[in-house]
Formats: sequence, structure tokens, C-alpha cells
Amino acid sequence: MGVISAIGHTVAENHYGLKNGLCGIKTDTQFPSRYAGIPLAEVSLDNEALREKLGVYDPSVTRTSLLALHAFREAVKDAELSEKEISSVSTALIGGTTVGGMCQADELYRDITSAYADSPLLSSYDCASVFLFLQEQYQLQGIINTINTACSSAANAILYGTRLIRSGLARKAIVGGADSLSTFTINGFNALHILSPEICMPFDRQRQGLNLGEGAAFLVLEGEEGLDPHKKIYAEVKGFHNTSDAFHPTSLSADGEGPFLAMQGALASAGLSAGEVDLINAHGTGTENNDLSESRAMLRVFGKVPPFVSTKSNTGHTLGAAAALEAVYSLLSLVHQEIYPSLHFNEAIPDTGLQPVTTGQPSYLRQVMSNSFGFGGNCVSLIFSKS
Amino acid sequence: MDKTELKQQLKKEVIQFLNLTSMTPESIADNEPFFGEGLGLDSIDSLELIVLLHRQYGITIKDPKEGRKVLVDIETMADYIEQHRTK
Amino acid sequence: MFYLHQAVCISPQKTFISFDPNLLEEPVGIKLEVIEPSYEGVPRNLLRRMGKAVRIGVGACMPILRSAPGPVAGIIIGTANGGTEDSFRFLEQIIEFDDGVLTPGNFVQSTSNAMASQLSMLDGNKGYNLTHVHRGLAFENAVLDAALLTGEDEQAWYVLAGVDEISSSNFTLDSLEGWYKKEHAAPGHFYDADSPGTIAGEGAAAFSVSRQRQNAIARVDALATLHSHEPALVRQRLDRFLKDHLPDGTAIDLLLSGENGDCRLQKYYEACEGGLSAGVSIARFKHLCGEYPTASSFALWLACQLLSGAALPGPMLKQGDPHQPFRKILIYNHYKGAQHSFMLVSAVDR
Repeated sequence: MGVISAIGHTVAENHYGLKNGLCGIKTDTQFPSRYAGIPLAEVSLDNEALREKLGVYDPSVTRTSLLALHAFREAVKDAELSEKEISSVSTALIGGTTVGGMCQADELYRDITSAYADSPLLSSYDCASVFLFLQEQYQLQGIINTINTACSSAANAILYGTRLIRSGLARKAIVGGADSLSTFTINGFNALHILSPEICMPFDRQRQGLNLGEGAAFLVLEGEEGLDPHKKIYAEVKGFHNTSDAFHPTSLSADGEGPFLAMQGALASAGLSAGEVDLINAHGTGTENNDLSESRAMLRVFGKVPPFVSTKSNTGHTLGAAAALEAVYSLLSLVHQEIYPSLHFNEAIPDTGLQPVTTGQPSYLRQVMSNSFGFGGNCVSLIFSKS
Repeated sequence: MDKTELKQQLKKEVIQFLNLTSMTPESIADNEPFFGEGLGLDSIDSLELIVLLHRQYGITIKDPKEGRKVLVDIETMADYIEQHRTK
Repeated sequence: MFYLHQAVCISPQKTFISFDPNLLEEPVGIKLEVIEPSYEGVPRNLLRRMGKAVRIGVGACMPILRSAPGPVAGIIIGTANGGTEDSFRFLEQIIEFDDGVLTPGNFVQSTSNAMASQLSMLDGNKGYNLTHVHRGLAFENAVLDAALLTGEDEQAWYVLAGVDEISSSNFTLDSLEGWYKKEHAAPGHFYDADSPGTIAGEGAAAFSVSRQRQNAIARVDALATLHSHEPALVRQRLDRFLKDHLPDGTAIDLLLSGENGDCRLQKYYEACEGGLSAGVSIARFKHLCGEYPTASSFALWLACQLLSGAALPGPMLKQGDPHQPFRKILIYNHYKGAQHSFMLVSAVDR
């Protein structure tokens, strides 16, 4: 696996950050002064530093693509994939993103309105540009796909890659997501009044909204058949389910029907009972609507809700990359048998009384569930099992 | 501008802002509820109307919940504008 | 892979109600815009907020949702640009209103999955919901997803669609990159103008799909995709595709080719045609729908019509016999010479 976020540039750094309760959300960021004071979770490498580190100087490659490449490189190295294996026709690349190249929308808009035909950004504004960039970098010949279902994009990428392997259409799948901070999304979430003016407080009574973040993460999935017994395996994708809340374009139904069906469906697909989930990495954005609906859904599914955390309290909401980051964090929990503290929590939501785990601790974990619920009611639940 | 003129102008602006292409100012009653039965608007529309108040009348409503108390129908919206407009 | 049972198409031609070869028209201009239906059954309250891509996507899928032979277990959409126009409108607001007080409508509609989520809300459909956005292979990935889903549950029904609109921002961007002709070709010379560029198009094609054979109108047998700029690799992939998926003794009788009048991209179609036997008829469709990332969905809709016995319109034919009943169609399409796909579609015996 590979990951880059506001709490670290590698899996090891992210692990350290989670264990030590690091919060990557800050108010003094590199964004223009108009956004001063808005808490954002930036990756601490500006574009110039990223280009230098990656050796990519082509101006058409946007920040989202650079972050993706950074995490991709770590993942394929960690999985010890040869160049031949990476570019094999039986290796798929499935990625999720919501911003794509629109992180540079301001410059693109300027280029369009001045009819600048030599603009490097003309074909790198869409979501696909990120994974087409990776295709070119590594000359990938297998199935390549880009998914955009808003905040659940990377979760769908993970489940799609799993299904490709299960059906025999791929032997390996590199799956994940990437998104970068952009004035576009900052303004969009602000217009919806769901950005918190303070650091977010997932599942807290006083929560006021979410903080945007950026990052990228990839997992390398391989089928059981023909798996090299000497390779290290972090975990197994045990179950998953995708469903639609079918309620509203930007908020979840009050009783969390979509999240409920997603979690229930994931358990069924894994052949597990509710009691066999030892930890939930919740969607937990810190918005009034999500955290309440998600809490109600967890109560409906589990009755006695297992320990749960929101790592968005460390990394902010990384949109199309969120589920990929959270998959890596779920795997870290499973591998190291520990729960990382959920930050900025003081008081439970009165309606539910649910409290996330706020103190890091070792824990016997067999299964971790990771949930992601996107705009448009797209709800996905993934279950990872200890290997 | 008197209240009747304001309400008439407001109806045109609401139609334009919310792209209510199948409606005319005449088809919107002063007391027709914005939400639920009536115009059937939703929470995204209420955010758009808050922006309308800001852009056209210089009124800032920071909390959308406060906005819902004001945005009941054309009549209450016009009353609020008369009391708070800065443009 | 799976069977297609219904097919609905909103396109620049009169295709929404039915396919009548006599009603097809030559392209005029360099933008082919769709003929929009009345959107009966779609609440006006929701319609008013929808950008064009969402509108036509919903417009094509709703009839399928309403009349699918069984309960719909999921909605799968392929769209490359759905949402782009709203993205740029929101961007305009950001630039125009410096105070940051903005209306959220455009932002909400700018997410690519606005279409799929709107459909699930309209239908109360809580099933599988996915939006594939991989540019020129967005629809192909949706087809693959449908193949996986119908394989996982052979009783289930799904709605599959490919949708894209021209949108002023996409048109400007693609024009700046030199993808369109400066002026339209003379009637009847769309394909032989020997000049760079094509014409912009848009459309929405939706299908109900399942593993159920009864009453199916066509069958998708196989699909392959390729990322390459090399005609030789296109040919190599085609050879392997046909070897893997054409049973012995069967042959393709029609190539539905995505030729789009751009002379720079002819080499890919020549490579493909070179891999087929001499008796294969060749027909072209982009003069009907224009060029857009999910144009292969229009081709699949067309294939369904032809395999169900519709006559092949003369102007579509590049070579071969227009009157033969078609049993096995190969659709070859690429987008900007970079993303290629092969789809094998067969007739279903009644």
C-alpha cells in the first residue's frame, strides 16, 4: 500500500501520525488570503516540491495527479511488483477522484477565456486525467477505470477491483483514489454551509461541519490463486456493498437507510454477523447530517456498536481519496492490532450517546469495517479481514 | 418601492434564481408556502434564496436554520427584506 | 456477457420514439445537438435544476426504469463530461462574486454522479449505483461493470447508460486543442473531406440488461479496451480479441466503425479493417451523433436496432451489402486516438 496525506508522506509516517494523534488540519495554509482562517488539511509539499521529488515537470500534470503518483509509487514498491507485472494486461488500475484536474480550474478558466490554445491544461481538467497520467507513466495495458461517486469514489474503486479479480478478468488490481484541495471545492462546500469554521469534531454534539483535506492512497490487490506464499499480505477484502440512499442530492436520510443497507449488505457478502466486526472506520465527516444519520444506522445494524473512529479528524475529508486513505488506516489497525484515537471529541450526540474511541490502544481485531457515504446518496461499506 | 411592487419583483427574482421555468409571477400566491406543499422547494433552494437576499438586497444570513424561519413564503420574505435591506 | 432487452436513445437524430432509417439526417454545422424529448414523468421541480447532461441521462433512463421486465437492482452510468458545464458555471460564480457568497446548485450538479443519484431518487431505487468517468472508455467500463453484476446475480436487472453533452466549456477546450473542423463538410462528404478534425456531438443511450435470454433484442458477447497511440497495437489487440471471442465457424458480418472524419485518425480504422475478412460490411455512425467520449453507447443502441432486423440506412454504409440480415456486429471505436474499444454484439434467435 501507499499513502500521502496531511499527516505524512508515507505509510510509516501516516502510521506514526495516527498513533500519536497528529492532526493535519490547520488554518494557516498556502491558499489565497480570502481563505485565511478556513481549516484545511494540506499535504506539506507544494507543487514545486512534489514535481522535484517525483521528477515530473510537465505543466499539464496537475496536483491531483502528482499526489496519485506519489502514493502509487510507494504502493507498487511495497507490493514488490516488477515493471512487467505493473504493465501486464492482467493488472488493472481502478481509481477514484472527484476534483481531478479541476484543482487548477482558475488557470484553466483564464486560458479558456483568453482562448489560449497552447495551455497545458486543456486535456487535464477531468477526473480521468489522473489515471490516464498513471497509465502513461507505467505504460499500463490492463483494464483502467476512473470512478466518481463523490466521497465514496475510492471505496467503489476498491470494490470494483476486487470484483475484477474474483471474476477472473484481472489477476492483480491497483486500486485507490486521489484528490487535492481546490478553490472549487472549498467554495462549493462553503456554499452548502457544511464547512466548519473550526477544526472538525466528528460525532461530537457541537460539531459544525467538515474540514477539507487532500491526499492519495493505493492498495495492491491480488487474487488468492497463484499468490506468492512469500509475499507479505496485509489483509483480505472480506466483504463489500454499494447502495443508494435515494433521498437527497447532498444529505443522508434521517434514519440513515443508505448507510444501514450498505453495512448490512457488506456483512452479508462477507458471511459475517454484526458481532464479528471489531472496529469501524466511520465516514464521520463532522457534519450535523452525516454523523447523526451514520450513528443511527450503526445502531440499527449493530445494536451494540463496536468501537469506531473517524480518521477525518486527523486528515480532513479527502473526498475522492478518503476511502482509500481509510482503507490503508483500517489495514494498519489490523496489521498492528491497534485502534488509533479519534480526535476533537468531547461530548456525544444526545440522540444516540455514541462515543468514538478517543484513546489509542492495542486491541484484538479480526475484522475492520470502513464506511464511505457520498453526495447523491452513494453508500459503500467495505470489510477487511486479518490475514 | 412599495410592498406590492417588492413582492412582484421578488417573485420574478425567485423564479429566475431557482430556474422555475414552468412558473410565472402570477402563478405564485403571496402566501403559498415555499417548502412542503406549495412550491415544493428543498434545502438546496433555501441556500440559493439566502444568496438571493445577499446579492439583491444586501442581507446576510449566516445560519441556514435562521434562513428557514424567514423563507416561509413571498409575504414573510418581503417583510424581512423591508426591515433589513441594505441595498 | 449479458442480454439487452430495451434500448432508448436521445440523440441529434429522431431516435427517442423509435428507429426509422428514413428519418435520419445529414449533419449540418460542427455541433450536433440532441433533440430533447418532453421528459414526461420527470417532475418539473427536479427538471429545472438539471444541466443538459443530467436531463438527457434521466430522460433516457426513466423509460427503462419504468418498463424494465423485472425489479431494477442497480443503475450504472458511463459519462466523461456529465457535470463539466455546471463545474464551469460554478467557477464563473467564484470569479464573479468575490465575496464568496455563492449559490450551491451548480456545484451540486457538477458531480459526475448527479445523474445516477437523481435517477435513484426518482425511482426510489436503493440498489447498486455507480458512475464511470474514464473519458473515452467511460461507457465501456460501465458495460464491463454490467457484465460483472449480471454474472454475480443471473436473475437481476440493471439499467446501463452512456451519456455526454457538448457543453460550451468542453467545446471550447476541445476546439482549442484542434479536435473540431473549422467548418462543416459538404453533404455526403463527412468522411472523405480529408481534413483534420471532426464535429461535436452528444447523446444518451440507455439499456435494460440481464442474463435472461427471453425477449432479449441483442447480446453483448465480449468487450476489450486498449490505451495506445499505436495502430499496430490496435491491430494486435483486435486479432487476439477475435481469436478469443469468435467461436470457430462464426464470422462478423458488420463492422460498426467509429470513423469520425478526422483524417489524422484514419490509421486506426485502417488497422482495424485490415484485421477483418473481405466479406465484412462496414458502416459508420458518427455523422449521425457526432464525436463525444461515450459515442460507443450510440453505436450499441444502433447495433440493437440492426440486430433486431432494422434496415441499415444507405448513407451509413462504407462497403458491403446493406440488405443482409446482420447476426454478429463488431463495434470498434476510439476517442482521440488514445482509448480504443472492441465490442462484439450478436443477434438473439427468437
